[in-house]
Amino acid sequence: MPYHKFKCSECIPEREKHAVIKGPGEDLTSALPLGYLNTIPGSISERGCAYCGAKHVIGTPMKDVIHMSHGPVGCTYDTWQTKRYISDNDNFQLKYTYATDMKEKHIIFGAEKLLKQNIIEAFKAFPTIKRMTLYQTCASALIGDDINAIAAEVMEEMPEVDIFVCNSPGFGGPSQSGGHHKINIAWINQKVGNVEPKITSDYVINYVGEYNIQGDQEVMVDYFRRMGIQVLSTFTGNGSYDDLRSMHRAHLNVLECARSAEYICNELKVRYGTPRLDIDGFGFEALGTSLRKVGLFFGIEDRAQAIIDEETARWKPEMDWYKERLQGKKVCLWPGGSKLWHWAHAIREDMGVNVVSVYTKFGHQGDMEKGIARCEEGALAIDDPNELEALEALEMLKPDIIFTGKRPGEVAKKLRVPYLNAHAYHNGPYKGFEGWVRFARDIYNAIYSPIHQLSFVDISKDEIPDQTSFLTQKMISDVNLSEEVTASKELREYTGNYDTITPLRNKTYPDFPAEKKLSAV
Amino acid sequence: MQCEVKNKERAGVINPILTCQPCGAQYASIGIKECIGIVHGGQGCVMFVRLLFSQHFKESFELASSSLHEDGAVFGATHRVEEAVDVLLMRYPHVKVIPIISTCSTEVIGDDIDGVVLKLNNGLLKEKYAGREVHLIPIHSPSFKGSMVSGYDVAVKDIVSHFAKKDKPNGKINLITGWVNPGDVTAIKHLLSEMQVDATVLFEIESFDSPLMPDGNSVSYGNTTIADLTETADALGTIALNRYEGGQAAKYLENEFDIPTIIGPTPIGIRNTDIFLQNVKKMTGKPIPASLVRERGIALDALTDLTHMFFADKKVAIYGNADLVIGLAEFCLDLEMKPVLLLLGDDNTSYPNDPRIKALQEKVSFEMEVIMNADLWELENRIKNEGLELDLILGHSKGRFISIDYNIPMVRVGFPTYDRAGLYRHPVVGYAGATWLGEEMANTLFTDMEYKKNKEWVLNVW
Amino acid sequence: MEDMMKDRVEQLVDYIMKNCLWQFHSRAWDREKQNEGILTKTMQILCEEPVEKETPMDKVYWVDAVCLADAFKKRYSWLAALDKGEIKLLMQGLKERMDYLTITGSLNAELTDPHY
Repeated sequence: MPYHKFKCSECIPEREKHAVIKGPGEDLTSALPLGYLNTIPGSISERGCAYCGAKHVIGTPMKDVIHMSHGPVGCTYDTWQTKRYISDNDNFQLKYTYATDMKEKHIIFGAEKLLKQNIIEAFKAFPTIKRMTLYQTCASALIGDDINAIAAEVMEEMPEVDIFVCNSPGFGGPSQSGGHHKINIAWINQKVGNVEPKITSDYVINYVGEYNIQGDQEVMVDYFRRMGIQVLSTFTGNGSYDDLRSMHRAHLNVLECARSAEYICNELKVRYGTPRLDIDGFGFEALGTSLRKVGLFFGIEDRAQAIIDEETARWKPEMDWYKERLQGKKVCLWPGGSKLWHWAHAIREDMGVNVVSVYTKFGHQGDMEKGIARCEEGALAIDDPNELEALEALEMLKPDIIFTGKRPGEVAKKLRVPYLNAHAYHNGPYKGFEGWVRFARDIYNAIYSPIHQLSFVDISKDEIPDQTSFLTQKMISDVNLSEEVTASKELREYTGNYDTITPLRNKTYPDFPAEKKLSAV
Repeated sequence: MQCEVKNKERAGVINPILTCQPCGAQYASIGIKECIGIVHGGQGCVMFVRLLFSQHFKESFELASSSLHEDGAVFGATHRVEEAVDVLLMRYPHVKVIPIISTCSTEVIGDDIDGVVLKLNNGLLKEKYAGREVHLIPIHSPSFKGSMVSGYDVAVKDIVSHFAKKDKPNGKINLITGWVNPGDVTAIKHLLSEMQVDATVLFEIESFDSPLMPDGNSVSYGNTTIADLTETADALGTIALNRYEGGQAAKYLENEFDIPTIIGPTPIGIRNTDIFLQNVKKMTGKPIPASLVRERGIALDALTDLTHMFFADKKVAIYGNADLVIGLAEFCLDLEMKPVLLLLGDDNTSYPNDPRIKALQEKVSFEMEVIMNADLWELENRIKNEGLELDLILGHSKGRFISIDYNIPMVRVGFPTYDRAGLYRHPVVGYAGATWLGEEMANTLFTDMEYKKNKEWVLNVW
Repeated sequence: MEDMMKDRVEQLVDYIMKNCLWQFHSRAWDREKQNEGILTKTMQILCEEPVEKETPMDKVYWVDAVCLADAFKKRYSWLAALDKGEIKLLMQGLKERMDYLTITGSLNAELTDPHY
């Protein structure tokens, strides 16, 4: 077995099988780390809890909902304003968060009355919002409050409101992934099938496992609309509560982040016969193939091809400008879950960078299978990495850049490894053809940052270069490029705008009149 | 027309001002050198607090979790604390101090962290780590009590009381900063140094503004040492800048070791800084030097340019930690502003008896509200639905959308201030803090005038 | 001959592993259906045989099969030289290899979890 042993973890044998390096001739049957097991206490893992997996990751991107946590105030505060999932209703879900503010007396005497009072107050404060999700926390789970009963009681008394209950306390599972699972299953059990949607197209999909980070969802929905496809619901970024109650009426579930949302797709397949199609919204080739598959499914491949051709012609020359300059750069791809497989191969194909390591904070072995499958030989794969292992890996691999979270990014900064935020992005969106160029541009600007270069100079010891008083990214990146590349008339730097999402919101789409009788499959 | 002090009427919280106790305990923990705290609870209680610290400081801090999972929640999880301590000690050979910080979950299931510490002291530490100095400090910080402010207060007290040991007088003063920024510590140390006063600064977080060095250094940590903490019992006095953030530790030292103690006032603004210096003078016998007269003069000179021309009668809302909010309000009053709404983000029952609040009640002659146990909806609802008109908001970044959505200029102050660059570097305390705050408020108002074309031409001849 | 076959199967496996996601559904029973459905239809397309695509499930397999067959044809020029019998043998080998890598030889302990 090609397990990689970290020096810093020699004293904790339980870590032995959590990292592998896939060597020559090895495949997934010999190189796969353990995954999704209980965390080793005190190891300084990067994992979060099942409450945040449910509330923060999947629940809150639903845009027209009061998101209320039943517990002390901290769970709510801590998971508020730390993500970039936007929405086209002025970011209601980002701006407002609600805690029932459980205190010691409630721990002793129960907090169901408090919960009910809270629900009524919140609806009163926001009279136009009629939907609510209640999230259990460690405290309310442990004292045994019956949140479902209170929700039912309120819905009885206030027929115009609808409440979803998510019982996913922080301790429920090894990582936030436990919460992804619980909220998936709770949603299909409680809410799917409750609402009959208006069907406006022959081609109806749910877009699943997509959280609209910096507008990703809106970019992809733009493509679908250009193809005349009705996106019935998005689970959950920029998604609407009532749309998600009608998920059962789609013809196809188009799935992005299988880690967080394959459960609901699998259940929809079993219960309603809706097929699941896994796609990649990232990468020219991968995204093109994905759109083509959706087109093929509905017999409108030509519409997909038209988009692929148009977008490729528009953006490929810009992508290739960066590819020439990123060729051979080493990257540690250290995200939370799905991006390790969404990005691993696509960044190599489109940008020429080598993924020298993948890790997953909260993923399962299934994610590692995909990630390792999509990496080249020799990549170090780490499950549930901890602080010291990450440092040791960085020391060993000496990457040119690291894609990870905000806080680990600060660690990388001090080691003088440039970082890009893999969860929230720097200048996203990164999905879509243009988005992929934006990603390449962010990578380029990070690696060839003049300030970054200065951080390697020790003015007390080193010769201080005095030939120039400034550098540009291009002066650094183009040093060893051939004139053919630097003087190319085809290739060009990114030419898009800072905000690419607002214009999409005011766009009109071609009319594709429905041919078939409009009903569900 | 007067100052009304009351509690928020709603039961729940819409957009909280403060987070819960474990965050405060963790903030105290990262202020100590050779220390990594273990939070006994779910992993989110650590992961998000580390994220919050990194959002504010743009730095990473080390904190560990006992990683409470389902089985532990059902059958008890003290064994996970034992394992966490062992794993941490094995892998971090420099660590000497480990606060064991409880959370709501582990308090509800009744895990006995004091018992575990006793067990580890007599077992693991003696057997496996004999000869290594290790301090395990249980800190009870259930999330369903108080707030991050009281969590900090409790942790500072528990840590100080763990170490404090009488030896011989050291001639220093203990200076307990409270929940402040590196810029504040720099400012306070500067004042003390000008007065030639030797102080033990607890908790010393100036180094949170850590450099990017040619040799690489991966984490930031505070600089308060075990020796500093031990010596607190030998000091000639204690000054706690904040009543609710470190006040308990000051009182402990007073009660236990008869150390003269002065708590507050938070030295925000000229007047409170004057009082602080006078307190230092009283405690140490050292005179206030001419250099500080001059510094004070620079601050007054800067503020005089601003007060009656720009600040007078401007209506301000302030939210955050109580000590900070009160200090800012007092400073605003000195600047001729009207702090019409103060939002204290937790339910500490001693607020109504706080002499500073009582003074506001007695002496303020315009309409002013002090809301205890407040959330940010108390502010937004007044603006949105009750006609409150404001010229300025002072508070941390979590309230940023109120400023944005209602077009009210806002100066970011307190914790966290992640939506502005480098604010942790600037002090709000001392004369330097008074100058910075005054000028920041003025420049914010100026930018707003220009943005809204609201008499922006006034600035032509200022 | 066998070596060449093995090498060709590995080339196809490499393409699937790097570019596809369908082979990694979360449970063994789904992976069996996915491998069977998509690789059979890919074989049928490559052999220019009729492909069932009336039910939603058949259609979704067919969609992946069309893209896979196209990619194979585009990338592996040696494919054009094979006759139907050889393609069937090759695809049989591919299916066996994929089943081994993703199901029977997989180290993924969650594949047999009875619930999603």
